[in-house]
Amino acid sequence: MKRLSACARLAMVLLILPGLVAAEDQVLTVATWGGAYEESQRAAYFEPFTEQTGIEVRTVVYNGGLQVLRDQLATGEVEWDVIDMIQSDASAACEEGLLETIPPAILEPAPDGASPEEDFMTGAIDPCFITQIVFSTVIAYDDRAFPGVKPRTVADFFDLETFPGKRALRRAPVGLLEWALLSLSVPKEQLYDLLSTRRGLDLAFRRLDEIRDDIVWWTGGDESVELLTSGKVAMATGYNGRFFDAQVKEGAPISVIWDGQLIGFNSWAIPRGTDQVAIAEQFIGFATRTENMAAQANRISYGPARRSARQHIGLHVETRVPMRPHMPTAPEHMANAVIRDHRWYSQTVRLREQWFRNWLERNGEALPETSR
Amino acid sequence: MDRLDVRQTVYQVTMVTVVAVAVGAVASLAAIAFVEAVLLMNDYLLVSPYARIQAEDRHLLVMAATIAVPAFGGLIVGLIVRWFVRERRALAPPDVILAAQTQRSGPGFRSGLASTLAALVSLGSGASVGQYGPLVYLGAMFGNLAGHLKLKLRHQRSIAIACGVAAAIATAFNAPIAGLVFAHEVILRHYSLRAFAPVTVASATGYIIANVIFDRPALFLVSFGHVEHSYEFVFFALEGVLSAGLACAFLWLLRASTAAARRFPVPQWLKPASAGLVLGLIALWIPEVLGIGQETLRFATIEGAFGIGELALIIVAKLVLTALCIGFGFVGGVFSPALLVGILFGAFYGLVLPYLLPLPYSGLEVYAICGMMALASSVIGAPLTTILIVFELTRSYDLTIAAMVAVVFSNLISYRVIGRSLFDLQLRARGFDLSLGRDKAILETHPVRDYGSQAYTTAYVDETLGTVRQRLVDDDRAEAMVLTREGEFQGVVRLQNLVNGRAEAPLDAMIVSGTTQFGDDTTVWQSMEMLRGFLGEAVPLIGDDGRLIGVVPEEAVIRAYLEIVHDLREEENEAA
Repeated sequence: MKRLSACARLAMVLLILPGLVAAEDQVLTVATWGGAYEESQRAAYFEPFTEQTGIEVRTVVYNGGLQVLRDQLATGEVEWDVIDMIQSDASAACEEGLLETIPPAILEPAPDGASPEEDFMTGAIDPCFITQIVFSTVIAYDDRAFPGVKPRTVADFFDLETFPGKRALRRAPVGLLEWALLSLSVPKEQLYDLLSTRRGLDLAFRRLDEIRDDIVWWTGGDESVELLTSGKVAMATGYNGRFFDAQVKEGAPISVIWDGQLIGFNSWAIPRGTDQVAIAEQFIGFATRTENMAAQANRISYGPARRSARQHIGLHVETRVPMRPHMPTAPEHMANAVIRDHRWYSQTVRLREQWFRNWLERNGEALPETSR
Repeated sequence: MDRLDVRQTVYQVTMVTVVAVAVGAVASLAAIAFVEAVLLMNDYLLVSPYARIQAEDRHLLVMAATIAVPAFGGLIVGLIVRWFVRERRALAPPDVILAAQTQRSGPGFRSGLASTLAALVSLGSGASVGQYGPLVYLGAMFGNLAGHLKLKLRHQRSIAIACGVAAAIATAFNAPIAGLVFAHEVILRHYSLRAFAPVTVASATGYIIANVIFDRPALFLVSFGHVEHSYEFVFFALEGVLSAGLACAFLWLLRASTAAARRFPVPQWLKPASAGLVLGLIALWIPEVLGIGQETLRFATIEGAFGIGELALIIVAKLVLTALCIGFGFVGGVFSPALLVGILFGAFYGLVLPYLLPLPYSGLEVYAICGMMALASSVIGAPLTTILIVFELTRSYDLTIAAMVAVVFSNLISYRVIGRSLFDLQLRARGFDLSLGRDKAILETHPVRDYGSQAYTTAYVDETLGTVRQRLVDDDRAEAMVLTREGEFQGVVRLQNLVNGRAEAPLDAMIVSGTTQFGDDTTVWQSMEMLRGFLGEAVPLIGDDGRLIGVVPEEAVIRAYLEIVHDLREEENEAA
């Protein structure tokens, strides 16, 4: 946590003195997700980039969604140069014309000579974004809360009788609908088909009603880890890399339930309207190099989107824990993994928000701040 | 066994296996392509909820598509059937049964392809029809092709057809045993080892291909422990009886709809479009009626997804609209709608029962599955297949036994009221009656004229008694066929009536008319019925124009019967 506050202080300093910094040197502004994730990026991408080019990397916290982008473009004050976006957001933003196009030529070939097209996952190289990591949203629980029988499935998350305690959920219509239906034994292949009907959405929200009184909301990725490790909740949903960080690096007594893990992808994108397109492209080319991606994967358990980088995953740089078993894509975690349907997500932004807001209001709550 | 026999056996076994694998593979791939194409069309045409929700922002577009797509799809279906299907109607499992049972050359390959295309458009544009009927036909089509190869295998055609059907069903349900049993239970109607072996091979081939390249979620998936209370089996039986009632209602609606379509004063090719329009309008209000309804099917096993009233509404709407779509000429089957209505009815029953009898129950799922299988098995006349589908999809013994009880009671009732299945009803309407088993149906397909003879004595009306008497004595017969000089049949004269008559007396007083006669289209079965109480040597065979074609001696009818039945028994008892 010490590091984090140092980071925050650094960010604040950089925020206060943008004019000075710009005058002295070039600065690239990267919008990303903070916490352990940002730290891994700092070590693997930002610092080496600065070292190599002399260009400072400034980070700002971004918690998903398109609204910030829309606002910046509308006011003409585009402050960000590179954004680390959820792939479905990136493709929705692309359709709305919020993103610059990225020439695929900026990507470097793999060390064994394989072209980026061969080396990256299918669909990773898009005109508007370059997908870089596979992350997962999982359910984790506090070992201390359940000394006897441990929760094992998504259904257990909804079972307050057997597993009493508060539940931390992200305050956004992301993931919770899938889990609600999974807990009703809907097969994962049919989740998005059922969630496409009114009946399915209604059923999911009614399922959430059953745990409504015990939900504690979080918005930033570190909050959920914090809620769980501090004992404020017994179970929490969150990003697998952050739970890994707390569990392995800090030794927190938490365990991850891989059942029903929701696999998603993060992509680099460049917002339209930035005046540093060339540097942004240079950065993305640098950050997607095989060795840099592997370096991040040896710090946090997110899977690189390049085959060659996955082959370089080894032990955690500090704790020497083997990283592979903690990757969301480890074979033993994939049996009931839900691959987030990006097309569905990007096309249902408004609808999901609407239903989520109505549901919150029906329960007498104020509107959510971020809701994607 | 001598060497020739060994060679012959090796050839037979090898060839049969090759045919089974080839037909199984092709039918399976075709079934996969068909199902995938339907899903793709559903997505492009905004039929599937998945596609509709993504266009949610464009509400008017979704509404317009809901009305226009089924109507326009209906128009295309009508035109395809009008121009490219020689029979000018949907080709369906009854055609397959007929092709496998008889030697008749069924609908051609071109008609089959056109009918399949029409089914694809029907399902793709959201018509309330099923996909398994077209899949069965598709499999049979390829089987029929293989059946015409000159491989010198006995019963090659019917076995190859059964192979195609088994593979298609095995692929579609991911249930190889069900595919195998379906081909025997519905298509072949017997279980000889000669057919059983290749059909099993084809079914397994279909299953393997389906597993390797066709990764779809199972039709239904339930997590069911066991039936908790023994009294519930009584409720399953009762559910079966009620499902049979619903099956009867469904078939009645189908018949009524077909009759209404006949009276509907628009050209045949426009009828599907009009049904599509009605479907689209109702889908604005009840979107569940569109298409196969996989989402609705899944919801039916989830407690709390439907209210009782909602269920009743969807059941009625789906029944009526399926009857409308099929009656008015959309091309597609009845099995998927029957499964859907059945599972909804089962859920309905499971929800209502606790109000009527406040006892503990084992949950909604088992009642939903029982209803589904009871209704569907009654409609297609395949109790074993449906029981096996439950077993193969759930691998749950308890669930299978519960479903078995419901299925058996449903079939007991529906068999009495409507007959074995919709297919058999349709075949009976076309003059192929399987209700008394294969013997009668097959005997009905053979005309007795094939066994006729030209060995008879002719007499003419203007001849004298003496001439005819002498001719009979010369021919060593006791009966003569009396004709006019133009060849028109008048009746018969018998020797015993001529013996004491005057030689110069005219013949006409002696003619016995109104005796048993066979027509050009009299079947072997009918001829046997007509021979009751017949006294004489041979029955005259009269053409449509009233002329004598020949005679059928009593012995020939018996011979015909023995030959045909012998063939059937041989087919049914053949070893591989």
